[in-house]
Amino acid sequence: MSDTTLDATTAPAAPRRPSALRMLLRDFGGTVSLVLVILIVVLAILAPWLAPHDPFATDLMAVMEPPSSRYWFGTDGQGRDIFSRMLFGLRVTLGMGLLSLVVGGVIGAVVGFCAAYYRRIDGLLMRLMDMLLSFPAILFGLALAAIFGPGLTAVIIALSIATIPLMARIVRSSALVVMGLDYIEAARAIGMNDFRLIFRHLAPNCLSSVFVFSTLRLGQVILLGSALSFLGLGAQPPTAELGAMAAQGRNFLFIAPHISVIPSLGIFVIVLAFNLLGDALRDALDPRLRI
Amino acid sequence: MSVLLEVENLAKHYPVRNGAILARQVGLVRAVDGVSFTLNRGETLALVGESGCGKSTTARLVLRLIEPTTGAVKFKGTDITTLDGATLKGFRRNAQIVFQDPYASLNPRYTVGQTISEPMEVHNIGDAASRKARVEELLKLVGLAPYHAQRYGHEFSGGQRQRIGIARALAVEPDLVVCDEPVSALDVSIQAQVVNLLRDLQRRLGLAYLFIAHDLAVVKHVADRIAVMYLGRIVEIGEKRALFSNPRHPYTRALLAAIPHPDPSRKGRVTPLGGDVPSPMNIPPGCRFHTRCPFAQDICRQQDPVLKNGVACHLADELPPAGVDFAGGLAPNAAKRLALYAEAAART
Repeated sequence: MSDTTLDATTAPAAPRRPSALRMLLRDFGGTVSLVLVILIVVLAILAPWLAPHDPFATDLMAVMEPPSSRYWFGTDGQGRDIFSRMLFGLRVTLGMGLLSLVVGGVIGAVVGFCAAYYRRIDGLLMRLMDMLLSFPAILFGLALAAIFGPGLTAVIIALSIATIPLMARIVRSSALVVMGLDYIEAARAIGMNDFRLIFRHLAPNCLSSVFVFSTLRLGQVILLGSALSFLGLGAQPPTAELGAMAAQGRNFLFIAPHISVIPSLGIFVIVLAFNLLGDALRDALDPRLRI
Repeated sequence: MSVLLEVENLAKHYPVRNGAILARQVGLVRAVDGVSFTLNRGETLALVGESGCGKSTTARLVLRLIEPTTGAVKFKGTDITTLDGATLKGFRRNAQIVFQDPYASLNPRYTVGQTISEPMEVHNIGDAASRKARVEELLKLVGLAPYHAQRYGHEFSGGQRQRIGIARALAVEPDLVVCDEPVSALDVSIQAQVVNLLRDLQRRLGLAYLFIAHDLAVVKHVADRIAVMYLGRIVEIGEKRALFSNPRHPYTRALLAAIPHPDPSRKGRVTPLGGDVPSPMNIPPGCRFHTRCPFAQDICRQQDPVLKNGVACHLADELPPAGVDFAGGLAPNAAKRLALYAEAAART
């Protein structure tokens, strides 16, 4: 390999680099997960038009019916159509999960970057995060439900708060690694302001761990939200929410397993799709892997 | 020649604490402990010494990437240790750095073009079009091609990445470039190219280099003057020729004698230094070199020598002449490398 001066005139033009989307679609898991996530979101948005039945209408002649041509996913204990309820439940579950992930994740990331970059306040910030970490999310849910009354607002706030310290820790540790690299020092030697340094040099290079954590956390948040719904703190009946639906079916697990199993499979597919998409995105956004 | 940089009694001490909450200071690492030197415009001052002697810390202090404990760094007459805001930014436009590790010094998410044009963006130099033109010009200047601007750092070899780092440092047209061991992570043949590039740029752009190194062959090739550091302090400073032909400090002699030598018949002519560098947390009293100095006397154990006439040694005038003919030539392998450099220089 030679390092000698290259002649501009005879040199080949730089190859066109594939876009991040192309890279994503080149990966099988990426394609599948992207299609699934788009499908899930479209289903949630179009729920009122797609649902074959009213999600709240009870059919007492058809209680706990297994899947059939009339009720595709069967009916629940009150004779409501599970398929329709799942379409509406998707909206609640996705909204709750994504909103609390974004709110908690953004606040946590800001705290993490500040702790890594401004070493003076590192100890203070991280001890605060440790305090938050010592409360279980369920406890936040209980406390917030006591303040706001049970409902989705309380759940979203509780899950956001529970996400903050986790994201802060992840971001801080990967930011500390990046802070030790020469290009951060070069950026400081150039004389750019902290804002530019953090957003252009520090944050983009912490992305991969943030992506991995976020996608894992989305699954956890959805399950925690379901747990809170189960305790009666989250989505209030008759609101459809996938976790709550799964919880409601637990009494009939031996007689009519589909009431719990089908919504649980729904959660599984959502979490899986977002996990795969997160992994694929992380790779697609890394210029080192883009050839 | 006018003075560009004046470093006065610069020190950086790191407190060592134990305990998390009620931290108690249990020690003090004196990484840099009273360093003074000047650097003229267009000149190269090499800072040499063993690992951990405070070379890199000094480099970072000079650029104010870390805050000094005491001392002053005067750049064009202004003490930069007290600057802030716009004035500090003004200084940053005039002083840049080239790093040792070409694999860690480029942001992997930036294209080469972004890396080189960012300093100009930060300092509001030109518009997008003129910056683009300047990036291409800089790429050519450091021996790369304009089309490389669209590529990412990881697509280049170590030597090429170092060239990109040099182009980034030159983007704002600085007067001072601190080179922190710019070639020690590169292969010998690539070293020659990068060293020659640096020399060539110095000639063309009138740059002053503060050149950190531990490789004396490289230093002999690039430096005008050399400062030898030991345990956070300069023990000898002088013109390259004088320092190589007549090293006055025992440590400088040991350093020069430590240049590897393949000729077994020379064995035994120089006694290598015994022992290890003392910890900068526990610097010996008196002359900091006395624990390893073959000539140490009582005065060395009691009095800390000051840098006088370019050397900090009580016995500088009384020592026997250096045992090795440093003037006549370097060890053959070092000489061979110098020849290689010269050859590469002739090619370009």
